[in-house]
Amino acid sequence: MGEVAAVTRLLETTALSKTFGGLEAVRRVDFRLERGEIRAIIGPNGAGKTTLVSMISGRIGPTSGRVLFKGRDITGLKAWDRVALGIVYTFQVTSIFKNLTVYENVALAAQRRLMKGALGRLTLPQHILAEPVNRALAQVGLADVGEQDAGSLPYGHQKLLEVAMALALRPEMLILDEPTQGLAPEEITALSLLIRALSRGVTILLIEHNMAVVLDLATKVTVMDKGGLLAEGTPYEIETHPDVQKVYLGL
Amino acid sequence: MSFEGHLFLALLEGTVTGFVLALTALGLSLVFGVMRIVNVAHGEFFMLGAVIAWYFSTMPGGFLPALVAAPLLVGGVAFLADRLVLRRIEYKPESTIVATIGLLYIIQQLVLTVYGPYARPVAAPVYFRIDFPWFGYSGYKLVVAGVSAALLVATWLVLSRTTLGLYMRATQQDREMAQAFGVSVHRVYALVFSLGAGLAAIAGALVVPVQQAHYLMGLDALLMSFIVVIIGGLGSLGGTLAAAFLIGMSDGLVSVFFSPTLAKIIATLLVALVLVLRTGGLFGEEGT
Amino acid sequence: MRRTRARAVWALHLAILLLFAGLQFVVPPFHQIMLARIMALAVYAIGYNVLLGYAGLMSLGHAMFFASGMYATGLTILHFGFGAGAAFGLGVLAGAIMATAIGLVTLRASGVSFLIVTMMFSQAFYLATLYFNEITMGDQGFIISGRLQPLVAGGREFPFSDPAVKYNLALVVFALSLMLSVWLTRSPIGRVLVAVRENEERTRLLGYNTSSYKLLALIVSGSLAGASGSIYTLMFSYAGSSFASILFSIYPLLWALLGGTGTTLGPLLGTALMTYVVDIASGLTSSYLLVVGATLVILIMWFPAGVMGGIRARWVRWLP
Repeated sequence: MGEVAAVTRLLETTALSKTFGGLEAVRRVDFRLERGEIRAIIGPNGAGKTTLVSMISGRIGPTSGRVLFKGRDITGLKAWDRVALGIVYTFQVTSIFKNLTVYENVALAAQRRLMKGALGRLTLPQHILAEPVNRALAQVGLADVGEQDAGSLPYGHQKLLEVAMALALRPEMLILDEPTQGLAPEEITALSLLIRALSRGVTILLIEHNMAVVLDLATKVTVMDKGGLLAEGTPYEIETHPDVQKVYLGL
Repeated sequence: MSFEGHLFLALLEGTVTGFVLALTALGLSLVFGVMRIVNVAHGEFFMLGAVIAWYFSTMPGGFLPALVAAPLLVGGVAFLADRLVLRRIEYKPESTIVATIGLLYIIQQLVLTVYGPYARPVAAPVYFRIDFPWFGYSGYKLVVAGVSAALLVATWLVLSRTTLGLYMRATQQDREMAQAFGVSVHRVYALVFSLGAGLAAIAGALVVPVQQAHYLMGLDALLMSFIVVIIGGLGSLGGTLAAAFLIGMSDGLVSVFFSPTLAKIIATLLVALVLVLRTGGLFGEEGT
Repeated sequence: MRRTRARAVWALHLAILLLFAGLQFVVPPFHQIMLARIMALAVYAIGYNVLLGYAGLMSLGHAMFFASGMYATGLTILHFGFGAGAAFGLGVLAGAIMATAIGLVTLRASGVSFLIVTMMFSQAFYLATLYFNEITMGDQGFIISGRLQPLVAGGREFPFSDPAVKYNLALVVFALSLMLSVWLTRSPIGRVLVAVRENEERTRLLGYNTSSYKLLALIVSGSLAGASGSIYTLMFSYAGSSFASILFSIYPLLWALLGGTGTTLGPLLGTALMTYVVDIASGLTSSYLLVVGATLVILIMWFPAGVMGGIRARWVRWLP
């Protein structure tokens, strides 16, 4: 049983810590994620959620501890190499290329997989690139705005563009950092449906403040507070957990 | 002359150079530190001070009034440059560099047009000789060192004791905070830029009896100031002073014992390496 | 839609090249030399623009790469009797090697730091050319026309003193550089470079090692600058320190800004305009560098996109 569990475990961190100056943002976190989950990480501001996933995605390096992906130690691996392994991170504040068109934004992501070898880097026929780009755009519902400047899109659509770019990278594990923040209710509903549809092929790690979304989508919830893991369980268990209630009451 | 003679000469020259360099570079350091921009035209302010001093030396009043007139006039030029150009481009780092490069050429070439391509000497206002065992040394150079030192102290007093100095230090530390506290950042910027130019101008004026006024002399002053400021740290008076002496001394030593060109090569490479190796880049905000 | 755009782009650039090819037969000799010079220098500007306009890195040290090409070509011809072809190859290589060395050291810095660091290294290089003046002849420079062998092709000799040879040599190298820049901007690599310029962190998290791409851009940029220096020496038989000075690092920045950074035709336009303006101004006054200064200030204040950039934004959106 133990060996089977080790083989399927997608992500694991051991005693992962990050200290900024004097501040311990993440304290010796042992985090485990299995394939096929939709895991939500919740917690008050400053709990260390973004710092934790930033270390998982490679945006920042840990002060100590290890990150293992599919059993392999990736702690020293740079962010761009982790993308190649299938770890994809979308930004909390949309970080798209505002001066490029929607199509170009997704093309950047899509071409990464197609740039194999010297020739793939030097030239890429349009029709080969267009296929994954259009597919990703269609999946998020942005197929008709390809030629628009990304910066001119309304905020909700920019968030969808971020998701499209992430999809074009063919992730195995998709990290969504507060995806519903700033969205209108209809947009939140649409995005939740999209996330659930995506979860059939992709493991999803989700930082969220919106409890309704968490209860709706998550298969399991991790609660963080003051840099450490406070509790883990199903959404229902977390909702009724006394420690969690205490922490959130203080919000 | 014996080795000790050469050595003492080099150290003496180094000291004088150090003081003058500190004065010249201080303006650049303040502008760097408070405004967070690179003023490539800084050397031209130095040159303008020297040229203005020459003009005064040809007039009835003589050389001395230039020590007051030069910083005022050059400060005025700088003030205009800030208002008309720098403010318009919102002090964006790379745009400012391009704009100040443009200013460099404008000022330099205008001086070329009016003043001409020749280097012209100015007689020192005081002439006396100090005799050391190995050589006679120009007393005026020591006066220059002394006056520079006095000006450095005066600037330090302004920075640490006056309200303006307080505003400048506050803006340097945290621009948004200073603004929140009602400091008019634009006014501080204009004043700092003018002050920086004025300091360079006085240095240029002081030095002209020793060096001769020439329309290209700003480039060397710029390079040396850059070196001092980058090694000494932005906006730090103490750092600027220390670096100026370090550079002045080593420049003096290498120049006397080897060659001035080699001294400059070493200094230039040193700056580049310091900048590359220093984590946090120029303003301490780059890199993770 | 993209395929027709591709056709339009290549057609436009081909037309420009054909125009320049034809001009040599219709313009008077003075302008023939001017245009040849402009084309040679435009290669320098194109190289500079690869770094500034596409990767977003502003350097003040490109004279270092130009001069490397110049000296590599000039010295090997003068002292070792190299043929023009080999010397040219060495010139490009010198630019590339210089750029690689500088890139490995300086690309850790960015923005203003990168600018100052490149300026400092370039200044050190310039001072070194003065210091080692037994080899480089310093400011005075040296002439290679005595040892420069004519090109031999198809049984005929093409001496470098012939204006037609100079013109077409510049034309060929310019054409290759222009096409290289067009291809680059439309390639996957070019797309990544633009992304690095726009938002480096995002690009990293899309799976790209941005440092490698910046280094690549610098190497291409340096090679083109070296090629320009090499061609210039072959055409005018002269090499000297002034081409390593800071002013010569400022020129490509000026040309790229004027023509429009981030456009393929901008560098040519900026080089052409400024070369003529400086030429006219230097005939009027010895303070002609004033126009350099004034142009920089005016550009940065009111026309940061340059001529081609403005044209692209307003009328011809598909210009690369």
